[in-house]
Amino acid sequence: MRGYGLFYFVTEAFNGLRANSLVNLLAVGTISMAMLIVSFFLIVFFNVQSTVSRLGERLEMSVYLKDGLTQHEKDFLFSRIKAELGVKKATYLSKADALSLFKKELQGQEALIQGLGENPLPDSFELTIDRRFAESEQLEALSKKIAGYPGVEDVSYGKQNAEIVSALYKLLIYGGTALAILLGVSVVFIISNSVRLALYSRGQEIELMQWIGATRGFIQGPFLIEGTLLAMLGTALAVGILAAFYYAIPTEVVRFLSRPNGLDFLPLSVVAYMIVAGSILGFIGGLVSVSKFLD
Amino acid sequence: MIQLYRVTKYYDGVPALRNVSFTIDKGEFVFITGPSGAGKTTLLKIIFCAEHADEGQIILQGMNTFRLKSSSIPYLRRNIGFVFQDYKLLPHKTVFDNIALALKVVGTPYGEIGRRVYQILKNVGMQDKRHLTPPKLSGGEQQKVAVARALVNEPQILLADEPTGNLDPQSAQEVFRLFRDINMKGTTVLVATHDWETVKKMQRRIITMERGVVTDEGIPSYLKSSRLHSRKPEEDVSGTVPREGEP
Repeated sequence: MRGYGLFYFVTEAFNGLRANSLVNLLAVGTISMAMLIVSFFLIVFFNVQSTVSRLGERLEMSVYLKDGLTQHEKDFLFSRIKAELGVKKATYLSKADALSLFKKELQGQEALIQGLGENPLPDSFELTIDRRFAESEQLEALSKKIAGYPGVEDVSYGKQNAEIVSALYKLLIYGGTALAILLGVSVVFIISNSVRLALYSRGQEIELMQWIGATRGFIQGPFLIEGTLLAMLGTALAVGILAAFYYAIPTEVVRFLSRPNGLDFLPLSVVAYMIVAGSILGFIGGLVSVSKFLD
Repeated sequence: MIQLYRVTKYYDGVPALRNVSFTIDKGEFVFITGPSGAGKTTLLKIIFCAEHADEGQIILQGMNTFRLKSSSIPYLRRNIGFVFQDYKLLPHKTVFDNIALALKVVGTPYGEIGRRVYQILKNVGMQDKRHLTPPKLSGGEQQKVAVARALVNEPQILLADEPTGNLDPQSAQEVFRLFRDINMKGTTVLVATHDWETVKKMQRRIITMERGVVTDEGIPSYLKSSRLHSRKPEEDVSGTVPREGEP
């Protein structure tokens, strides 16, 4: 295409957008509504993900030891447990330390532990579990393995917590993917329809261009850019609306509504990815309708 | 330049063209005449690759159009100008932009477009109306713009389908004068018309069609000695016998 490249296509695309301004405004509005749902979901996704990560980081396991173990046996057991895959950190908690910790936690209610007599708490190893082992099945396997070591009385961990974390991860990944596909298809559909409207309104021009020797690419180019621009504008508008809402609501209210961790807005990189992804969907939408029209 | 051999075309099983054969040499000016429904428009569309023939062969500028890929058709069309009965001008674009579009489509550099559009408009006497939109022009003026658009890329062939069908006699005469001038410069011209009066006046080769069949083909006797149209009727591949002494 000697002399005609992206500049010509972009100019023609803007002319087309201007010529069908009402239809295109409606398209941008509809796309932004769809993308608003996407962005809202992404905010929820990223915040839940960070909460889940924090929960994952807090995954701990307590290994209670039998009474009467020698120091040597305890050291051996400690090094063995510490070497286990998935154990990020391990600390020894003697029964005396455990009791003083317990007392500290029950400060103001000391009456409850008076009369206990001899310290009933066992020696223990407090383990921090690697985030990658946050799956409830893996934790279960690890706890069973450690419980089988000689000298170990019992193993306990936040089983319920771990199961919630694991379920939330799955929900986020599968639900998020399904929703993203659904909304992506909707955006392609919306854009292909608005580009189709533009095509019909310029049908005479397109037919004429074919008669005077225009190649398919020459005819397609402006419409593909039109679709891309529509989606880009729609996505930017959606993010803008959401940001306006986010920053308009007082921080205290946001914190109150999203206790305990607060609610973060989308990272800038995610906004950039969204605009790029929206543009790609717009391009696909344009391509779908132009191909149908020209065939 | 244009060769048709036993071209047949059906629409829903009904033949629109039957065994049409003829040859048009480079630089010829040929009329296709016949009543409405004779197949004139279908014939032009087939030559222009806007329709596919069901049978037969078409050789255009040495290329068999049956073997052309659809992606090659735009490039073939760039060598063919087409003038329509209803002008097919874009109503929201100015005269200038309507013609410039034909140049843009073939990738003419921006810097050349203004000069070439002005020049072709000057040739058809429409340079002063370049900023107007087609609805502000008369039918004759619109057809002149359409002719200018068809010629701006200097095609080797000009096809016209009932170009004067919507025009008054004076405008029709002006359009045919343009065709004659273009032909004098070497462009092969093929005009489908049922304007028999103009055909007679122009004194060029005539292909007569009726119900999709070439019924008559030849050159009026008074033109046979002309050097411009020296092609002999017996060379025709159509197999039809030209009638002597009749235009």
